[in-house]
Amino acid sequence: MGPDRRSRITVHKQMLRFQSVRRYATLWSIFLVSGVLLAQAPPGVQPSSREESIAAQQAEKARTSQPPQPDKAERWIQRAEQTFLIDPSGFFPSFDSVYRGGGLTLGAGYRRFYGDNTFWQVRGLYSFSNYKLLEAATVSKDHLDKRLTFGSRFGWRDATQVAYYGLGITSKEADRANFRFKETYVDGNAVFRPVRWIPIKGSMGYEFWNIEKGTGDFPSIEELYTPQTAPGLGADVGYVHSQISTGIDWRRSPGYTRSGGLYEVTFHDYHQAGGAGIYSFQKLNAEVIQHLPLLRETWVLAGRARMETTLNDNNLIPYFMLPQLGSGDTLRAYATDRFRDRHSLLMNAEFRWMPALGWDMALFYDAGKVTSRRGDLNFKQLKSDVGIGARFHSINATPIRIDFAVGNEGWRLVLSGGPVF
Amino acid sequence: MLKQRKLKSIGLYRRALVAGLAIAILGTLPSFRLMAAKYYRDDPMAVEPETQDASRVTPWTIDLFYDLLLNLFAHPGTQPGSRAQNVNTIDEVPNSSWFTNRILARPLSIDEAVRGPLETNGPAAGVLTVLRAKSEGAAPGFTLRDTAGETWFVAFDPKSNPEAASAAAVVAMRLFWALGYHQAEYQISSLRRDRLQIDKSATFDPVSGKRRPMTIHDIDPVLAKAAQNADGSYRILASRLLPGKILGGFKYFGTRPDDPNDIVPHEQRRELRALQVFGAWTNLVDIKALNTMDTLITENGKARVRHYLLDVGSTFGIGANGPREWFEGYEHLFEKDKALKRMYTMGLYLQPWQTVKYQDNQSIGLFEGDRFDPLVWKSRVPAAALLQADDDDTFWAARRVMAFSDDMIRALAKTGKYSDPAAEKLLADVLIKRRDKIGQAYLTRINPLVNFSLDPSGVLKFENAAVQAGVVKAASSYAAAWSELNNESTVSRALGETKGSDRLTAPQGLPQTTGAYVVAEVRVVDSAYPNWAKPVRVTFRRLDNGWKLVGLERMPKESVAQTLARGIPAGTREPVAGL
Repeated sequence: MGPDRRSRITVHKQMLRFQSVRRYATLWSIFLVSGVLLAQAPPGVQPSSREESIAAQQAEKARTSQPPQPDKAERWIQRAEQTFLIDPSGFFPSFDSVYRGGGLTLGAGYRRFYGDNTFWQVRGLYSFSNYKLLEAATVSKDHLDKRLTFGSRFGWRDATQVAYYGLGITSKEADRANFRFKETYVDGNAVFRPVRWIPIKGSMGYEFWNIEKGTGDFPSIEELYTPQTAPGLGADVGYVHSQISTGIDWRRSPGYTRSGGLYEVTFHDYHQAGGAGIYSFQKLNAEVIQHLPLLRETWVLAGRARMETTLNDNNLIPYFMLPQLGSGDTLRAYATDRFRDRHSLLMNAEFRWMPALGWDMALFYDAGKVTSRRGDLNFKQLKSDVGIGARFHSINATPIRIDFAVGNEGWRLVLSGGPVF
Repeated sequence: MLKQRKLKSIGLYRRALVAGLAIAILGTLPSFRLMAAKYYRDDPMAVEPETQDASRVTPWTIDLFYDLLLNLFAHPGTQPGSRAQNVNTIDEVPNSSWFTNRILARPLSIDEAVRGPLETNGPAAGVLTVLRAKSEGAAPGFTLRDTAGETWFVAFDPKSNPEAASAAAVVAMRLFWALGYHQAEYQISSLRRDRLQIDKSATFDPVSGKRRPMTIHDIDPVLAKAAQNADGSYRILASRLLPGKILGGFKYFGTRPDDPNDIVPHEQRRELRALQVFGAWTNLVDIKALNTMDTLITENGKARVRHYLLDVGSTFGIGANGPREWFEGYEHLFEKDKALKRMYTMGLYLQPWQTVKYQDNQSIGLFEGDRFDPLVWKSRVPAAALLQADDDDTFWAARRVMAFSDDMIRALAKTGKYSDPAAEKLLADVLIKRRDKIGQAYLTRINPLVNFSLDPSGVLKFENAAVQAGVVKAASSYAAAWSELNNESTVSRALGETKGSDRLTAPQGLPQTTGAYVVAEVRVVDSAYPNWAKPVRVTFRRLDNGWKLVGLERMPKESVAQTLARGIPAGTREPVAGL
């Protein structure tokens, strides 16, 4: 190998080396440029003033900012508010009862407005005990400076297993029978308040009671009872029902209050439509409710006394129209419709305290009786119970009430969507 | 030769590449940034810059119920314990679209405070044209236009508490304006039904939700709920339409997603944290997003979002619709522990609100100063910004409250136009009592030294805010640890310690070159308040003609001496304020 060749080889090697270094350099140049660019990027930039520093952050946000969007939870709550609170038209859930003792009830309705605060609605309810209700109604509110509300309704309901234990306060729990009724009704009603705290209510309508064999786990009524022990047994009765009531109502709201009271009298006239009128009768209800707040509403003593009395002692009052006691808002430890007779007396007392806004607790005592003679409406032989409850409420409604009550016939848990009184 | 030059250049090339790479990588490392200067040439900032165009910010609606649930149960926002991020390097809040320094920051006359944000004299005389009506909701009223073309929203006092809500709104508007917040213009005026006419295009939203042309009868339900004067007129609270495009409220946590200038989480804004103190003073219990408002305005040719604190009328002792709940100001809407204790004890777990006494005055309501304790005051719903208020935030706020003189408070109470002089006096008396309690509570919690200056001869002057406010007697003596700061490396060098009674002389060796920085950590010696022994750290920059205060940390995490003892350059551990 001559010097020239060696030299050529060396040069060739150098050239190769030069080329690889050039590639190496190109690679590193790219890396360098990237590095410099990275160093220029906002996180690494070295502003020369505070204003520059802030401007860089604001410019970065301007690049990435998006219009505000509600998150999933917020969207869900907005939809619920729209459905339940804001949009009064269209479909709505209906939390109501078909008839007492029907158990958990689900329902829905549809409402359309045809005036400022005038609407028609249809709704349907169905309970786990197979109770059903269909109703169409129209309501018109806010007349005469919001003093007058009136409306009309037409409906049908089917209560499949209504309890009957016989007459009187001494009836036995073991004597339960069931009956079924299908009621068709139509009425017109109005509430007028000459002043905010004096409600005058009236209604007139027709209702037809079609009584059938009871369903459920208990015997049907005709198997255990006779017309003597169950007045009007076997009769289907139509009534023209008129009622008027007045009183003083200075509670904050009927749905929830911690002060104020209600003193109200209601007169009912049930005029039998068709027939000899032997089932016609009148009924008078008197109710006093008082809420007494103590130490800035830390506690509330609340009481109710209610009397229901039928006025025509010689007339026959069908068993299903008699005043009754026993249910989640009368004698809470007793079964629904546990006691029936021509007259009833009910007293409830509650000691309430408020752990938090929207949450009340209560110790309660209920007592009452039913009698065949008005003169027996006294404080002897009262059925009573005691219990404790929790209520979750808003300013003017009590959507959840849970009461645990204990009485002579055992204990009961009451789940209700309204106040006891 | 050519080859050799090439080879030589290749070597240089490689060395340059390696060096460049190293610089590039270093530039991306956070530690590199930490070595940046602590103070910029424009510190301390007097105005918070808003550099971006905000014209693309869109209106939004904050759902009241969702906001309530979120704040009650989800505790949004960053964890408490961090320093406010919108303070400048001397621990002050620069002027911004949120806040304007007024009382304490500059002389504010009583006349100026009484004038407040008012630009008009209220709805002009003559016929008022109704544009919209709101007959339902918490504050029924209507929108109208006066003969001068101004648009006003009109609300009324409830029958149960005449004058209360309207007076509270106009007094509180002035208080919060003086404190520095943007306020809508509220005016007390009077109205007669026969002065109203319905605009041809006015519409009404009835319960049905079906909008229709309005009639004069649509306003009657609103008037029916309102307190009426003996002459048949109504006292009204007229709120002037805000300038700019209405964007909806702001939340007390996070930032508005589409506002590029909104970069400091709201719970870290000092002026919002300070509402813990201002709210306690005025009993502004209804602090929530719905009572705020952002508007899009144009300033100097740039679209910007301005932030208003609205509905400050929910102050003192009466709400918009009548008396407050008893617990308001003492508890949040829901507090699990208290609720459970009350449940177990059948309500016997009593709280102060259940026994505190109030003077019976329907125009003032549940507002008192004798048993008021600012340290336990609470808004109805917990707001993240208020929950995060730290001692330096509350100190900052308390100084502003203490800057209201008795005379100014009485002059502002007079603007409520109470017909009963006793109501006006009661309001002023209670505000004065609560102000003093705020001073006592918050000016003593941390080292209260303020108004630092270092004269060219090296004498450090300062004042004691607690002494100034009359909350405590003069402190006996003060001491300062001095050091020189290298602003670029943020490394400090100890210079020594000096003591004195009301001023402190720097030790020998104070740097004199322009651009030098000196740090003094000043503490109170032998104080009855142990927290005053923790120093306030102040930093001065040497200018041609003297020293300029550029830094103030009221609650530094550790002293320079402690930092030096650990061997870590000072400044690398302390966060530089956000602005």
